[in-house]
Amino acid sequence: MNENEIQLKVQALVDGELTGREAEELLSRLESDAGLKALHTRLTVVRGLMADAELPRTLPESGDFHWSQISKAIELEERQAKHMARPASGANWLLRWVLPLAGIACLVLVLSLQQTTMPDLDILLGSDHELELSIEDLDVMTFNTEDDNMSVVWLDYSIDLQQDEIDLWLD
Amino acid sequence: MPEETAYSSAEEPQLVQWAKVGDMQAFEELVARYRDRIYVRAYSIMRNEDLAVDLSQNAWVKAWQRLEQFHGEASFPTWLSRIVTNLCLDELRRQKRARTDSIEAMEETTGPVENRMEVETIDPVEGLSRGELRERIDAALAKLSDKHRTVIVLYEFEELEYREIAEKMGTSIGTVMSRLFYARKRLASLLKETLKRDGLIE
Repeated sequence: MNENEIQLKVQALVDGELTGREAEELLSRLESDAGLKALHTRLTVVRGLMADAELPRTLPESGDFHWSQISKAIELEERQAKHMARPASGANWLLRWVLPLAGIACLVLVLSLQQTTMPDLDILLGSDHELELSIEDLDVMTFNTEDDNMSVVWLDYSIDLQQDEIDLWLD
Repeated sequence: MPEETAYSSAEEPQLVQWAKVGDMQAFEELVARYRDRIYVRAYSIMRNEDLAVDLSQNAWVKAWQRLEQFHGEASFPTWLSRIVTNLCLDELRRQKRARTDSIEAMEETTGPVENRMEVETIDPVEGLSRGELRERIDAALAKLSDKHRTVIVLYEFEELEYREIAEKMGTSIGTVMSRLFYARKRLASLLKETLKRDGLIE
C-alpha cells in the first residue's frame, strides 16, 4: 500500500467508511505512526468545521414570483402531456392508416393485373409437357414438343377475349 | 378541499398527501416552506444565482410530477434535495461537454502536485461566530473546482456515502475518495489563508 492509499484509508476512517478489521488495523497503526496520527487529527478538524457549514441563503426572487414560475411550468407540462396522450384526430387517422393501406391495395391490384394480362408462356417451351394455366377469367392449356418442333395452345372460349389478345397468345 | 387557513398550519405529511391528489395549494405551501433550502443546495453546487434559481424551479416541477413516487422513506425536503442535486449534476455534465476542463484534468492526473500539499492544521478559531466561519468556508468552497466542490457538497451537506456519490457522479469510489481528500486539503489551505489574513490565527 503506497502513501496515497494509506492517506485515503485514514480519511475513510475519519468519515466512518472504514469498519471492522480494516479499521482496527489502521487504528493500531496510527498509534505507532506520528505522521498518520497527525493527518487523522487534521482531517477530523476539517470534518468538524464542515459540519453544518452550508451558508444559509434566501431565494433572490419573491416567493410569489417563484411560485408563479413553478405553477406556469407545471401547467405547461401537463398541457403537453395531455396533448401527447390525446387520440389521433380523423385527419391523422386517415394519414396513418387509410393512405398506406390504399397504397398497398393499389400495388396488389397492379401486380395481379400484370399476371392476368401478360402470362409468361416462354416457360412452357423448354420440354415436352402439359401445363394448365388457371387464370381467373381465362383457361389456357398448352402442349409443347421439341421433336415436332411444335407448340399447341388451347384457349377456353367461354369468356370473351379481344381479338388482339388471342393473336398474341397464338403467336 | 381543506380551508385556506388549514394549509399554513398543516403538518408536512398532510400537505404531501393533499398535493399527491392534485391539491396545488398544498404544494404551494410546501414550496413556500422549502424554497430557500432547495435554492441553497443548488447554489452550493452551481455557484451561480440564475442557474440555481432555474434549477430550483425545475426541481419543484419534477417533484410535482413525481409525487406519486414519494413514499416517505426519507423526509420530504431530503427527497427534494436529491432531485435538485441530480439536476445540478446533469447541468454540470452538460457544461463539461461544452468546454474542456483542462486545468482540472491536469490537477487530477498529476498526483505529485496533490501530494506536495499537506492538510493544514486549523486550530479552533476563538472569537469567530459560527456565521462568520460559515462565510469563510463558503468563500473557500467558491474557489474549488466544480468536481471538488461537488464532492464536498454531496458528502458534507447532502450526507451521501462514498458509494452513493460515486453512482451519482458516474465514477469509482476510489476517485471519490481521492477528490474528497484533495478538496479537503485545498479547503483547509484556503481557509487558513483567509483566517491568517483576517488576523484570526497566526
